[in-house]
Amino acid sequence: MKRKDLILNLIGEISNYLLDENPMRLVVSLHQEEDGLHLCILDDNKHTEEEVETMRKALNSRKRPELAEYYGAMTGHDMLGSARLDLLGWQIKHSDVTQSDSGIKIDLWFGGERFQSDKFTIPDKE
Amino acid sequence: MEFSKSNIISFFLIFMILLFAVTAFVVDGRDALSGLGAVQHNPARLINDFFEIGGIGGALLNAAASGLVALVLIYVCGVSFSGPTFAAVFTIMGFGLFGKTPLNILPIILGVYLSARLVGKGLRDYLIIALFGTALGPLISVIALESGLPLWLGITAGVVSGTAAGFILPSLAVAMLHMHQGYSLYNMGLTCGFLGLFAASLLKAAGLPFDKALAWHEGGSTFLPLLIPLVSLLLIGTGIIHSGKKAISDFVNIQKHPGRLPSDFVDMEGTGGALVNAGVIGLAGSAIVYFTGSDFSGPVIGGLMTIMGFATFGTNLRNSWSVVLGVIVCALLFSMKLSDPGVILAIIFCTTLGPLAGQFGYLTGFLAGFLHLVMVSQTGSWQGGMNLYNNGFAGGLTASIFIAVIQWYRNNKSDM
Repeated sequence: MKRKDLILNLIGEISNYLLDENPMRLVVSLHQEEDGLHLCILDDNKHTEEEVETMRKALNSRKRPELAEYYGAMTGHDMLGSARLDLLGWQIKHSDVTQSDSGIKIDLWFGGERFQSDKFTIPDKE
Repeated sequence: MEFSKSNIISFFLIFMILLFAVTAFVVDGRDALSGLGAVQHNPARLINDFFEIGGIGGALLNAAASGLVALVLIYVCGVSFSGPTFAAVFTIMGFGLFGKTPLNILPIILGVYLSARLVGKGLRDYLIIALFGTALGPLISVIALESGLPLWLGITAGVVSGTAAGFILPSLAVAMLHMHQGYSLYNMGLTCGFLGLFAASLLKAAGLPFDKALAWHEGGSTFLPLLIPLVSLLLIGTGIIHSGKKAISDFVNIQKHPGRLPSDFVDMEGTGGALVNAGVIGLAGSAIVYFTGSDFSGPVIGGLMTIMGFATFGTNLRNSWSVVLGVIVCALLFSMKLSDPGVILAIIFCTTLGPLAGQFGYLTGFLAGFLHLVMVSQTGSWQGGMNLYNNGFAGGLTASIFIAVIQWYRNNKSDM
């Protein structure tokens, strides 16, 4: 998939998810490198701890190449019904979901086979 | 070896293959082998019940061999045993009772592999498409055995055609997925049906008559009606032993999911709950077959195995019942017998539309089931019976029209 299409689809799916709760502010920030990219998305809604945990679980689901290549084509595309973060989770290298007083912040790191995580300041896993 | 989620699923699949192989010899002795041979020489178009073609033993052996091919592929590709792969092996084994053979599925898989290589991917990336794409197996058998070509030339043409079909499948599968947005579980049925339309038109233009095929095993066996209920109870037992009480709570949670593709219940809720769901769906399906008075033929048992497989990948009781009711009401309204082959298969396979009911409500599910039966009675002849997932084809078309209307309504009804 072309990088531009991929970025559009990723932004589409994550925005679809957050817009379901009708935030008054939604910020999408993109940082690209040669073989990877970092998306940061912020909204101004309060999310329950249970919802945040569900998001973390979906975005950090185990890698499923057999599903990502086929059903991953629906990411950010087929939006009738609930948004599905697991479609993103199968495709990303790492994600962080943090909640502050002003809203939620979702960091997503994507990359190819030569993806160098040190260029993207991904937090060390505990 | 670790008693992991993957292992319990792969163990159960290995057990199923062994169960079918051993039962084949117990039922038919050495005749099972000659029955297996007879099945390989059948064009395998819908509906050719292999119980009639090769005997119960031959058909079971063919199903076991087809399932083994799928199982080996999953191992070789290093893909995890989870909902989709469980569904794929159960489906391939089920259709090994009425259409798939180890020989007619391989060219399709080869074609998908070549397609993956062309775009720099591996078979692992397209494995689900390759496994479910084997619905076009009869395309190979028909060209090899019914085209009137000398056998060697027919086989060559069949293999080349099957490989070409497999090569196109990944691109088509994604396009078809967008049509119904994941609201028909058997997306490869729609994909293979679409491709089958072109293949059948070409073959009809070349003079192939595509005479109607119907070989259907009727009654006479006390063993066949017990097969699926027994496997279902084993699935429920395995799920409970594996996950304890959590299997029951996971099973309850599974009923809350709409089931839209891709819903891997193994990942979403848990292995035990998914296996219990598969067993319950198998028991419910068997009960319906029993009460309609239908035969436990190869296609019926194959259908039950398919919905049990998909009970780990989208099918549940809550999203299925209204669709099944829609098919039954349609059949009664149009004076069709519920035990007729086409009707009972539609009752079983209409659960492909479960996600519509799961997401948009029971009325939508009911209407979709009603329309599904009307459609499926036509679509088989369109593609010459070469797409084994004819209900998947009709279901995909039905889901697409519902999704188009719902999408149009939601997009155009202003909320600002």
